[in-house]
Formats: sequence, structure tokens, C-alpha cells
Amino acid sequence: MRVKLTLALSDRPGVLLRALEQIAVNGGNIISIIHRRDSITSGYVPVSINVEFPDSASLERAKRGIEASGIPVIEAETLEKAICTILLIGAVKIEDLLRRVHELGSRVAEVSMTGGLTSPCIKAVIEAPSGKLGTLLASLERFADEHGALLITEW
Amino acid sequence: MLRCIIVGYGFLGKRLARLIASGALGGVKLVGIASSKGYIYKEDGFLLSDLPDDLQSSSMLRLAPASELINKRIADLLVELTPTNIRDGEPGLSHIRLALEQGMDVVTANKGPIALAYEELMELAEETGAMLLHEATVGGGIPLISLKNRCLAADELLSIRGILNGTTNYILSRMHFEGMTLDLALKEAQMLGIAERDPTLDLEGVDTALKLVILANSLMSMKKRLSDVKIKGITKITSEAIMAAKESGMTIKLIGIADENGLRVAPKLVRLNDPICVHGTLNAVSFNFRILGRLTIIGEGAGESTVSALINDIHEVVKTRMRSNRI
Repeated sequence: MRVKLTLALSDRPGVLLRALEQIAVNGGNIISIIHRRDSITSGYVPVSINVEFPDSASLERAKRGIEASGIPVIEAETLEKAICTILLIGAVKIEDLLRRVHELGSRVAEVSMTGGLTSPCIKAVIEAPSGKLGTLLASLERFADEHGALLITEW
Repeated sequence: MLRCIIVGYGFLGKRLARLIASGALGGVKLVGIASSKGYIYKEDGFLLSDLPDDLQSSSMLRLAPASELINKRIADLLVELTPTNIRDGEPGLSHIRLALEQGMDVVTANKGPIALAYEELMELAEETGAMLLHEATVGGGIPLISLKNRCLAADELLSIRGILNGTTNYILSRMHFEGMTLDLALKEAQMLGIAERDPTLDLEGVDTALKLVILANSLMSMKKRLSDVKIKGITKITSEAIMAAKESGMTIKLIGIADENGLRVAPKLVRLNDPICVHGTLNAVSFNFRILGRLTIIGEGAGESTVSALINDIHEVVKTRMRSNRI
């Protein structure tokens, strides 16, 4: 699993190395490191590290190790996307669907419409941040109800 | 010999009566049959030649309710096969209560009483030492309940996902393969006797929900009612929607799901290579066990195959009672 770890590093030599050691001993493979020097606050530099971990348990161990070495973990964001195909049967405008999906922090990767005006059906492939698909689908269910449409999902 | 009475003399009742009276089921004799018209009984057991086509045509007919036959205490086992009533489970619920109160074992295919009053009936059975078996209420002849309760009793069932209604599956299959509209596929199903004249309970997902409640309560120790199930049926499904799914290697199936998020019935997109993606009148149920993992079982969910579930439950009663020297 790919994760973006955002750490608050004190601006002293060797601090970053302590964090990287914890990532390495827990099986993390570092993809990139970005120092956000433009966002220094109270002597701390936010650093974003993109890491590939074997599983969520190794991520949790690395987070605990980093914090135990005195470095606060500000955020651990999973970068993987969940992909789901949906059908919306009923008179729904594609742009309304796109707007709702975007508002929920997700994106429509593919969209098409069949059935014309008599029996319209939208098919869409949606990409949601991993772990947020359930919330997205629940919200789309409400969206379908508001429009008198039927939402059909894979799960 | 286990003495058995059958209450409900329709398709299933007649087939079962013939099997028992012909001696095909060892250790059982049929001593009474009841329907809404009245009842007949013969304490030394009916032979095949004694069985009437309809109870009204029998000279032995007594114009009295089935409860009178149950109260005669001439039987060890009640096979309850009256039609399902989802409002209050009657008259099946009263028949089953009456039998269990007397310590009489019960085998049933009637979904109403089991879906509406499972906990109460199981407690009553436990109090009086009677057996209550209901394999035939879900999935026709597919051994779903005995599979979990007898073969996998020690493992924990985490979720159930499946196609539990053959009528809607037939309609959706015809829409998928022939591009038919729902109305046309329904008319065809009615002509073939697959769909009832009033198909509302099937199309609206209520039949699937009843079966899901039975499975969740009896296999996952849930305490759910029909009103706890979020239900969406297939009436809004269009042939265009099915075709759109087909283009993506999927189809639409009416799926019942029981898991940690509760019970729900809805049309779902199912991949064509998913093991539960079966067609025609077939049912398919996928169990997810804590240790075993996923197990999918497929079979005919109604009609003649239901007799198989009934005779296996009856066999279980005979075996258990012979072991305890009660018969």
C-alpha cells in the first residue's frame, strides 16, 4: 500500500534520518521525499514522504516508531484508489453526478449514457480514495433518491 | 415408526405424501393430511392407494381445521406446508406453536412463521424438547442451514451474499441473454409457471428479504425482523441498464446481503466470472467463514428440489428419535 506520511521535523541535522530508519526497518520502500520549507512553523519543517508499505500493520509499526523517536506524524494518507462501476437508472444529468462525485473528493474516470430520453441510464467508473468508497456510495444512494433514480453498485 | 401428519396439501404436500405413503422414506408413516378444506386421518398409516387427488374428494374428509388434527395427538411429527403469509405468519404459525407445545417435532417449508417468530419458536421447541427444522424455507433443496449447522458448526459465519429468488433471477437472465424488457420476461415466466400471477413479493425483493432474515437469524445468531431489511426490488431495471452492465463484463442480479452492516436486498452489478453469477431459476449463496473463507453453493431454489430438503429434515428427525428410543 502506498502512503503519504507528513512529519513535523525540527530543523536540525540527523532528524530526518531517524524517521527514515523507522520506515526502513518496517519494510517501507521510500518513493519520494519533499521538504516543505515554505511552510516552516515554530522551527518545524513539514516533510512529506511517499512510501510503499507491505501492509497496514507495517505502516502502523513505522508510525509508532517515528513518534517514539520524538517526531510527530501529522498525517498518514493512503494514496491508493478504490475503483467501482455504478449504474444510475433514471433522469439524472451527467454534470450533476460529476459535481456530486467531485464534492466528495473522488473522480469519475469514465462515464457514458444509454437509453435516450425514454429510459436513461448512466454508467460511470468512479475512483475514490481507499477507505472512502463506502461513504461515497452511501452519498450517491441519497443523490439517486433525491432524483427519483435507482443506483446500482458492485458492492 | 415415526407417525407424521402433513398440513398443507398443495404441490409440496402431495409429492411428500406420495413419497411417504409409497414407503420410500424409511421409518415414517403418514397418519393424517390437512388442508384449508378439512382433514383426513388413518392411524395405521395411509397407503399410496389411499391418497386422494384433493381432500374434498375423500370420503374420510372431516370439515374441521388442521388444529383439530394436530390436537388428536396421533402423530410425532408435523410437516407444515401451508402458504407463506408475511403479515402474521398464519395459519402456519399457530399450527407450529400448537405442535411444539405438545412436544411434537416440526419440519416446515413455510417462510412466514420462521421469518416472523424464529426466536419464539426455537425457545418453545427447546422448552418442550421438540425439534424444529426448516431447511426447505430457503434455497429449495440447497442444504444451506444443515451445511452451516451440521458441517461447519464450529466455524463463524461472517457474511452471506446470494441470489435467493429463482423468479427474479430467471427474469434478469432473460433480459441479459435475450435483451428482453422486464415486462416481457415476466410474462414469459408467468406462462411457464415460474412467476406467480401476482409477482409483487418476488419483484419487490420481499421474498429474498424473508429468506435473508431466516438465514441471518438461524446461521448468524442475529435477531432480525423483516422490517430491519433495507429492500430494493428489480421493477426499475431496464434492458438498457442490463446491456450497459454486459458491456463491462457484468450483469445485474437481485442480491441479498447479511453482514456486520446489517441486512439488505438490492439489484447489484455482478461480474460474469463471480461464482454467484448463476442464471435461469438457479439460486447461489456465498458464505464467508472466519476460518474456511468463502464457500459458494449453487442449486435449484424452488419446486421439486424443495422436497429433497423436506425429506432430509424428516430423515434427521427419524435418526435423532431412533437414537433416543423415542420411536
